[in-house]
Amino acid sequence: MGGASVVGRTTVTVQVNGQERRLELDSRVTLLDMLREHLELTGTKKGCDQGACGACTVLLDGRRVVSCLTLAAQCDGREVTTIEGLAPGGELHPLQEAFIRHDGFQCGFCTAGQIMSAVALLAEERAGSDAEIREFMSGNLCRCGAYPNIVAAIREIAQQGGGMP
Amino acid sequence: MSVLEYRRPEQVAEAIALVSADPGAAYLAGGTTQLDLLLKDGVVEYGTLVDIGRLPLRGTSVVDGVLRVGAVTTMEELAADAVVIERLPMVREALLSGASTQLRNMATIGGNLLQRTRCRYFRDRAVAACNKRAPGSGCAAVRGPARMHAILGAGENCIALHASDLCVALVALDAVVGIEGPDGQRSVPLTEFYVMPGERPDVENVLAHGEMITHVDVPLPAAGLRAQYVKVRDRASYEFALVSAAAALRIEEGAITEARLALGGVGTVPWRAWAAEDLLRGRQADEANFRAAAEVALRDPYTVPGTEFKVGLAQRLIVRTLKYVSGAQT
Amino acid sequence: MTAPSPNKIVGEPVDRIDGQLKVTGGAHYPSDVGYPDMAHAVLVQSTIASGTIRAIDTADALAAPGVFAVITHENVPELVHEVMTPFGPSPRFPLKDNRIVHHGQHVAVVVAETLEEARAASRLVRVEYDETAAILDIDDPRAQVTTNPYEMDVERGDVEKALASADIVYDERFHTAPVTNNPLGPFAAVARWDDGRLLIHSSTQWPVMERHVLAGIFSLDESAVQVLVPYLGGGFGAGLRTWPHTVLTALAARILDRPVKLVVPRPQMFTSVGHRPETVQHLRIGATSDGRLVAIDHEGTSTTGAEESNLEPITVVTREAYDCPNLATHDRLVALNIPNPGAMRAPGHAEGSFALESAMDELSHRLGIDPLELRLRNFAEVNPQTRLPWSSNALRECYRVGAERFGWHHRNAEPGSLRDGEWLIGHGMAAVSYSWWATPCRATLSLGRDGGARLRAAATDIGTGTYTIAAQIVAELLGLEVDQVHVEIGDSALPLAPPSGGSGLAVAFGGAIEDAAAHLVRAFLDLVRDDDRSPLRGRDPDEVIATNGRLQLSDDPGVGESYTAILERHGKDELSAEGETDPTPKAEGMTMSPAGAFAAQFAEVRVHEELGLLKVTRLVAAVDAGRVLNEKTARSQVAGGMVMAIGMTQFEETAFDPATGRITNATFGDYLIPVSADIPDLDVVFVGEPDRYNPMGIKGIGEVGITCAPAAIANAVYHATGKRIRSLPITIEELL
Repeated sequence: MGGASVVGRTTVTVQVNGQERRLELDSRVTLLDMLREHLELTGTKKGCDQGACGACTVLLDGRRVVSCLTLAAQCDGREVTTIEGLAPGGELHPLQEAFIRHDGFQCGFCTAGQIMSAVALLAEERAGSDAEIREFMSGNLCRCGAYPNIVAAIREIAQQGGGMP
Repeated sequence: MSVLEYRRPEQVAEAIALVSADPGAAYLAGGTTQLDLLLKDGVVEYGTLVDIGRLPLRGTSVVDGVLRVGAVTTMEELAADAVVIERLPMVREALLSGASTQLRNMATIGGNLLQRTRCRYFRDRAVAACNKRAPGSGCAAVRGPARMHAILGAGENCIALHASDLCVALVALDAVVGIEGPDGQRSVPLTEFYVMPGERPDVENVLAHGEMITHVDVPLPAAGLRAQYVKVRDRASYEFALVSAAAALRIEEGAITEARLALGGVGTVPWRAWAAEDLLRGRQADEANFRAAAEVALRDPYTVPGTEFKVGLAQRLIVRTLKYVSGAQT
Repeated sequence: MTAPSPNKIVGEPVDRIDGQLKVTGGAHYPSDVGYPDMAHAVLVQSTIASGTIRAIDTADALAAPGVFAVITHENVPELVHEVMTPFGPSPRFPLKDNRIVHHGQHVAVVVAETLEEARAASRLVRVEYDETAAILDIDDPRAQVTTNPYEMDVERGDVEKALASADIVYDERFHTAPVTNNPLGPFAAVARWDDGRLLIHSSTQWPVMERHVLAGIFSLDESAVQVLVPYLGGGFGAGLRTWPHTVLTALAARILDRPVKLVVPRPQMFTSVGHRPETVQHLRIGATSDGRLVAIDHEGTSTTGAEESNLEPITVVTREAYDCPNLATHDRLVALNIPNPGAMRAPGHAEGSFALESAMDELSHRLGIDPLELRLRNFAEVNPQTRLPWSSNALRECYRVGAERFGWHHRNAEPGSLRDGEWLIGHGMAAVSYSWWATPCRATLSLGRDGGARLRAAATDIGTGTYTIAAQIVAELLGLEVDQVHVEIGDSALPLAPPSGGSGLAVAFGGAIEDAAAHLVRAFLDLVRDDDRSPLRGRDPDEVIATNGRLQLSDDPGVGESYTAILERHGKDELSAEGETDPTPKAEGMTMSPAGAFAAQFAEVRVHEELGLLKVTRLVAAVDAGRVLNEKTARSQVAGGMVMAIGMTQFEETAFDPATGRITNATFGDYLIPVSADIPDLDVVFVGEPDRYNPMGIKGIGEVGITCAPAAIANAVYHATGKRIRSLPITIEELL
C-alpha cells in the first residue's frame, strides 16, 4: 500500500524528466507545487490553480494533465515530463522552435503549458486541421491572445510529420 | 483541514473498509473535483483521501449487449474506446464536449457521475447561505446573477446545476450504475441514482458513506437508432453547457418507435425528459411534434431572472436536435 | 547621429530575443522566485461589502501548524497610507482601520512556513462584522458622483443649438459590463529586507513607480528599495499601481525578518488588482441628411471604489474622432462598494469607442449611407479640438486597405441578407484613434571589448516585445547584429523609464535609446579625436555611419574602424553613454497635434438563427502605427488586443452579486476569456508613415487593437440579424 508513515505526510518516488526523485511531502502538496516549490522546476506555471487555464500542463506517463489538480502523492511510481525535460540537451524541440518562429506567445506565462499540451496533441494525432488544433488546444488559455500564432506553429510541425524525435 | 492523510489501497475491499470506517474519509479518483473543492475552494473537509485511481476498475468490456465501463476509466480512454466510437457515438460526443483534454485524461467515469455542482455560491466559503453546503442556511443563488444554474428540479432551496455532459447521454441511454459498499454490491439505474434537491440539497445521490461506484453499464442500442449530443455554450469550447440535449430517435415508416431525450445545463440532476419521450412515441417525426415535445420537456421550470432564457433556448435546442436525428436537418 | 542608418533592422520581423527562455521555462516571473528560508503568505478577504470589523479572531490560525504570523488591522505597524503617482494616490490601504469598503477587501494576511500551511490556517481566521448597507448599483441615488473627474471634459461650439437644427438626431444609451484584466500570470510579490533595504520581486508594469510608492509607504529613501520584474505574466494595466498585497508582502517580510512570498490566487485576482469598470453612456448625435455631423454630446459614467479614484476617461475618444464643430463630452465617476477598478487595456477608450462607433453605424443605416462612407465624410483633416495638423494620420489608408482586404464593398448592405444554412452572416466595421502617453525616459548604453552592446533601463517587457525592439533599435543605430545586444530591463535600479502602459513605452524608450546611441557614437569619436592612428580622427558624428560593428565615413566607407579596435587601442573595456527623452507634448507652442495610432477594423460574424450562437469568423485590422519597430511582435500585439476585444464583446462580465457585492464568477472556469476555438485567423496590416512628432516616428500599438473591434463586431451582428445591441457582452440571451 502506498501512503503515509508520518501523519499528514507522504513519501513519493517519481521520475521527473527521466530522473528519479524521492521526496517526503505534506500530503496536500500538488504535483504543480512539488515541481515549483520542492524541485525548483518553475517552468511549469500556476495560472489558476483550479484546472481551468492549462498553464500547469505536464505529461504524466505520457498523457497531458493539469498538475494543479493532481496530488504529488498520486504520481508515486509514475513518470512526469515538464517543459524543462523537453529540451534536455539544450537542443530545442521542433515545437519550441516553431513557437519562437511564429511568435506563439507574448508574455510567455502560458507557453510551457501550451507547448506541453501541443506535444501531447501531436502524439494524440489531433492536429489534422486548424479546427482540430483549435478545439483540442482550447484547454490552454492565453490572455495575450497568441492563439492564431500558436495554431500556426503547431500546424507547421504537424505538417512536417509531428515533430516526434 | 490541518492535515490530510493520503492512502492508496490496492484492493477494492480495502478501500471500502478504509472509507467506511472513517466519517472524515473520502474517495479520490481523478481528483479534478475533490482536490478543487478540498484544497482550493476549501468548501469540503476530509481528514483522509483514499486514492482509488489505481484499483482494478479500469477499462471496458462488452457482455450481452451491454458495455461495462470500469469506474476509474478516464474520459479520454472511454472516448477512444472502439465500442464507444462504433456503437455509442453520442456518448463520445458528450465526452469530448466536456472539459479539456488535460482534464479528460484525469477525470474518471465514476468521478464524472459524482462531480459536484459548479455553483459559485456553493463553491465559495464567503457565501453563508447554501443549503447544499450548510443544510438549512438558505440559497443565496436564487437572488444572484445566476446563469449557469438549473431550471428543472430546482426550487427556492437550491438551483445548483449538475453540469456533466456525459451523464446526459448516459441517462438517455438507460445506463446503470454498479455500486459496491461494506454491505455488498448493488445496481441502480442512473435515472434513479440522483436525488432531487428538495428539502435536502446536500443529499445528491443514493450512495451511502463508504459506497463506491465500481462500474457503469451502458446498454448498446440496436442498429437504426439515430442519436446526437448537442451542447450550447458561450465559448466554442471548454465551457459547461448553457443547455445541452442528448436525443435519439428510431423511426419506422415515418413513425417514431423509440424516443430518448435528456437535457443538460438545465437540471439539478442529468435530466431525462420522460414526458417528451412519451409524447413522441408512436407519432410522426415532424416539426410540430418536436415542438410539442419541447413544450412538454420544459413544463413547469423554476427560473430566476438570469436563467429565464434557458427555457426557450432548451426548447429550440430540442427541436433542432430532434430534427437532426430524424434526418429532417443536416 | 544625423547620417541615415544603412542597417535595416528596425521594422524587421525579428524573433523575440527572449523567446528561447520563454519556450524552455527559463524566464523567471515574480511568482517563480524562491529563497531558502522563505515564508508563504495567504490573504484573508472580507465577506461583506460595507461595514466594520467588530472582532477578528486569529488564535486558531496562529496555533495551526507552521504559522508564523497573522497580520490584521489590529497589529499592523504604522505606515504612510497615501503616496501620489501619475495615476492618482496609491490604492486605499485595507488594514489602515477596521472599515470594510468592498467585498473581498484584505482583512488579514497569514504567513506560514509552507503554502499548504498558510492556506489551511487562513481558513481559521474568524471575522465578525457590523454590516452596513452597501452601495452597489451604478444607478443608486445614494452613490457619490463626481462630475468631470479627470478635468478632461470639453465643449466646443453650441451643441444644443446644433442638435435643434440637425436633420436627424440620434439619441441612445449604451452599457458595458465590468471586466477583469486577468493576466495569465497571477500577481505575486516576493520581498526580503537586508539592512533596512527592501528588495521586492513584484508583478508591476512600472518598477520606478512601485519603488516610489513602496519607499513612501515604508518611509525609506528610494535608493533603499529595489523592484525586480524581468518578466511579467501579462498585466494589461493591472500592473500600473502598487496594490495592497504588495505592501502587505513587504510588511510581512519586515515583521518576520525573512523573505516572504505571496501569490494572489486567481479568485482573489478579481478583487485585488483592479478591473475595467462598468459604464453607462449616453450619446446624442446630430447630422445633416447628407451625413455631415453637426453635433455630438457624449456622456460617460463609470464606477469606482469607495474612497478610491480611477482614471477611466470614456468620452475622450470622441472629441478628436470626427470633424464636428459642436461637441461636448462629460465623464462621471460613481463611487460604489466594489473592489477598486484600475487601468485595463485602453481604459475608457475601449468602452467609449464601442458607443461612438456603434452610434456611427446606426446613424449610417438611418441615413442610408454606407458606414465607411459616413466616416469618410466626417474625416478629421486636422485635430478637431486643437485645429492643429496631425503629426501623421493615415486613417483614410486604414479604411481603404482594410476595406479592400476584407472585401467590404462587395457585401450586400441590407441587414439579414446573408446566410449560410442556419447561420446568418454579417459584416461590420469601426475605426478609432488611440493616443499614446508616456513619461520621461532614460537609458544607458555601453559597448564593450567583445563588440557587444549592453542597454539598461528600468523598462519592462510584459509580453509586448520591449526586449526585442530595444535590441533592434540599438543594433540598427550602432551597426550591430541583434544578438550582439544585451538588454537589461525590469529593475528599478536601472535608469528610469515609463511604464509598459499607455501605448507609450516604445515612444519614450525608443527616443532614449536613440539619444544614448548618438552620445555613444560621439563618445567613440571623442576618444579618437586626437588619435593619429585612427582613420576617424577629428571626425564629427554627422560625417559617420555605424555599420558592421564599426564606424566609417558616410561618403567613403573604406575609411573607418571597428568599435573594438578603438577600445583596444585606448585600453578601455567599454564606453558608456546616457540617453534621455521627454516625449510629453508641451502645452504651449505646438505646431502639430501629436497623433496616436489609427485603426479601422472589419468584422465578419455568424449568428445561429435558432440558437443565438455568435462566432467571429473574420477580423481585419488596418493600423497606422507610425513606424513599426518589429512587424512580427507588432502584429502579435495588435492581434492580442483583437482577441481581448472578442472576449469583451462576447463573453466577459465580472458578475457582482447585487445583494452582497461578491463577485460570483471569480474563477477561470466561470469568467470566460476566449479560448483558441473562439479565435479565427486575424488579419493585421500596417499602413502609414513614420510619425513626425517624435524622433523615432513611433506611435504605440498596445491598445489600438482592442478599441474598435467591439463596435465592429456589434455592427456585424446588426448586419447579420437586424438586432442592434448596445450592451456588452453580446451573449446568447440577446440573440435569441
